Amino acid sequence: MFCDEALDAVERIAAGDLIADGRIAEHLNTCPGCAAALESARRVERLLRQRAVPHVSPQFTTSTLGKVRRARWRSDQWLDAGFNLGIVAIVVAMASAVWMLFNRSGLAAVSNDAVGLFGSGLSTFASRVAPSLPLYGAAAAILATALGIWWWAEREA
Amino acid sequence: MDPATERALVERCRAGDDDAFRELVDLYKNLVFALIARTVQDRGRAEDLAQDVFLRVHKGLPYFRGEARLSTWIYRIVANVCVQLPTRPRAVSLDDDRTRVQPAATDRQFGDLELRDRLEKAIARLPANYRLLVAAHYLDGVQYEELADALQLPLGTLKTQLYRAKQQLRRLLETDLK
Repeated sequence: MFCDEALDAVERIAAGDLIADGRIAEHLNTCPGCAAALESARRVERLLRQRAVPHVSPQFTTSTLGKVRRARWRSDQWLDAGFNLGIVAIVVAMASAVWMLFNRSGLAAVSNDAVGLFGSGLSTFASRVAPSLPLYGAAAAILATALGIWWWAEREA
Repeated sequence: MDPATERALVERCRAGDDDAFRELVDLYKNLVFALIARTVQDRGRAEDLAQDVFLRVHKGLPYFRGEARLSTWIYRIVANVCVQLPTRPRAVSLDDDRTRVQPAATDRQFGDLELRDRLEKAIARLPANYRLLVAAHYLDGVQYEELADALQLPLGTLKTQLYRAKQQLRRLLETDLK
């Protein structure tokens, strides 16, 4: 029974946190098992005290700061994506609201008429301009050639 | 570091001052790395985990209220990282200074190295919280009180756990040597 008590104390004795009193000291002197345990505990204590202290590599700080910057950039990316999604949602909501307003107020029909009017104006304009297109094309080509010659002459000078 | 300087450093870090954070990393890197390297026993992995600790510190700084010391808060993060590690025997890296045998090593030196190797393997078999205690207790600069605070344990419990860790270590070594 006393062996259990002594074995419980060997680590504290080995660490110097407990001084073996008369009874424990007497037991450790007479019990080879407990004496061996104390010797073993002392060896463990010595090895632990002699354990090498690992040193960090010289580039640790730089690589850590790089990692922190990358993590911050990633979180900024998420923030940007969230912001952009928010903007898209707002634009969609506004467009839907305008569309609903147009439908409810009857403005949609007016706007359809306006679109139709704009379309027919555009086609009339295109049909009037179409016969003169070769003339406009030739004029544009002459202008481009003149500008090219001027640019070439300036560059040579 | 006195509390006022520590507070000023934290405030500068919170304001986004990269130089202040560099200062903080330089101040604690050796201790953080030593604690983790002694717990995981793999240099590359220890560096990764130590960097993760500083990443957590950077993320957590805006929420750090300053009720505990900065070092205590950092130890708590280290403890969380280390305690989450699995317990399994690990191979000790051949590049490690602790296991490098010099060509002219004497028998005694070789015996010591062998014993240290056994010790490292025995430590690797301890539960993560015991490994951390053994790592921290024998490092200069880590106070018992700060460690107890970081692990949120009463001082007496911390000491008892350390004795149990050493007892388990002794038994593992005895079994190994038999």
